Amino acid sequence: MTVTEPESGAAPVPDADVPPDASPVECPHCGRPFVRERQRDLHVGLQHDRVATDEERTAIGRAADAERDELRRFRLKALIVLVVLYFGLLFTYSIVT
Amino acid sequence: MAPSRRARRIATVLGAAALLSASAGPVSAHSASLRSASESLSVPQWLFLLTGGAVVGASFLLVTFATDRSFVASIHEWRRPLPGWGLEAGRAVGSLLGVVALAGVIVLGFVGPETAVRNPAVLVVWVGWWAGFAMSAYLVANAWPAVDPLRAIASKLPAAGVDYPDRLGAWPSVVGLLALVFVEVVTPLADDPRLLASTVGVYAVITLAGAVVVGPPRWFADVDPVARVFRYYGRVAPIGWGESGFELRLPGMALTRRGKVDGPDEVAFVVALVWVTTFDGLVTTPAWGAAAGPVVDAGVPPLGIYAAALVLGYVVFLGAYRTAARVARRTAPTYLSVGTLARRFAPPLLAIAAGYHLAHFLGYFLTLSPALVASLGHPIAGAAAPVGIVLPGWFGGLELAFVLVGHVLAIWVAHAVAFDLFPDRLQAIRSQYPFIAVMIAYTALSLWIVAEPTLSPPYL
Repeated sequence: MTVTEPESGAAPVPDADVPPDASPVECPHCGRPFVRERQRDLHVGLQHDRVATDEERTAIGRAADAERDELRRFRLKALIVLVVLYFGLLFTYSIVT
Repeated sequence: MAPSRRARRIATVLGAAALLSASAGPVSAHSASLRSASESLSVPQWLFLLTGGAVVGASFLLVTFATDRSFVASIHEWRRPLPGWGLEAGRAVGSLLGVVALAGVIVLGFVGPETAVRNPAVLVVWVGWWAGFAMSAYLVANAWPAVDPLRAIASKLPAAGVDYPDRLGAWPSVVGLLALVFVEVVTPLADDPRLLASTVGVYAVITLAGAVVVGPPRWFADVDPVARVFRYYGRVAPIGWGESGFELRLPGMALTRRGKVDGPDEVAFVVALVWVTTFDGLVTTPAWGAAAGPVVDAGVPPLGIYAAALVLGYVVFLGAYRTAARVARRTAPTYLSVGTLARRFAPPLLAIAAGYHLAHFLGYFLTLSPALVASLGHPIAGAAAPVGIVLPGWFGGLELAFVLVGHVLAIWVAHAVAFDLFPDRLQAIRSQYPFIAVMIAYTALSLWIVAEPTLSPPYL
């Protein structure tokens, strides 16, 4: 029985399953494998902030900016989907009933 | 389990006895009131199902607007220590009550009135325990370990000290849960007090024997399905045991904690809990009768069909959940193993299970609790005229709301788990796509079952 440790968590042994043909981006501090560099950089920022090098800090800042921009775009898309869903149902109800 | 059939059967008895001639309709409308809620919308069924799915999907989109890590964590980490006054005394009183209730159920099941709705054994088990007490487990706190009469009795018995094989894990409780639901569906457990008392007796003998062999702590932690159901429901509750003792937390928020569900066996139990509710409703739909008919005509024994459907449906549910976890690895993307994802995202399903339980049983509990109280006053002769509470028409809407609240709570908890699991917040959101897709399908299936006419399970 293993207690699951999150990718963002501090435990040294991740509960990972990396395909043999994959080339994961590994965290230099704990060896946790990631699919994308941005995930690794954000992980370093969340978990190894105190021991991060200057170079890593720059990468963390870049990754955080990229994450924030993408979140902003995602929210916009989510809002559009919500509006479409709302009016779609509204029209459907007005036609059907 | 089958509130609809049970409520209807008991209500039929009530109606037949002309005890409630004026209110037999509303009494029987327990689960049917869910249906009337859908009928009162006067929309076609497909639109009703589409709307249910859309509500789940929209809830997910709304939840994704909460992207502040510290805000999400603060809601889940909010807790207040509670004083443990009277816990010991409560345990002593609880186990005494439990033992008295167990003895009463077995004795009164045999010597009490034969009419189910007047027999205290039937009412205590279904109304008092499986409806009322189970609701308290997820709405307040899980008191079952303190009340469980079999645990109290087993602790006084000698233990044989046989080692429980670790590799069995929670699997015996999965089998036990499916077996209990099978018995409940194919036998008139809620109509026949004698049968109920015998079943409870058999369950008690098996439990005590098992507890003697492997010792009560292992038995009630690993094997006993009832103890596990209550323990899992208790994780949804606002009061429970945390790392630092007895605590108050926000409802459902303890579900995000790590290590709550360990291993595929416990995931399998959570999925089984969700599936048995569905199965119980599925066998009462006309579609089930239509599908089972030709198979029965072909000479297959009906019990075999029920057992096969129970197991096959369970495998489909488990497969759908595992597939969602597998797909989540790609949508996130992440290198976390499928097993890890399946484990961490299983606890939110308990909020859904609790939501369905509340939707099914609150009306049942309120309607029949006067009959329960009355029967306790006249345990052997039976109360002269048990009265039922007539629920107002808007109650069906309230039941639909419970189902949706369970789903929304689950979506929120899964969102928080994903934030805990993944360093990238977009990755966390995208990991939820397959789970939300499965949840939308599940909501549509559940609403379809609710909207179908409720029949007695055929060929039994």
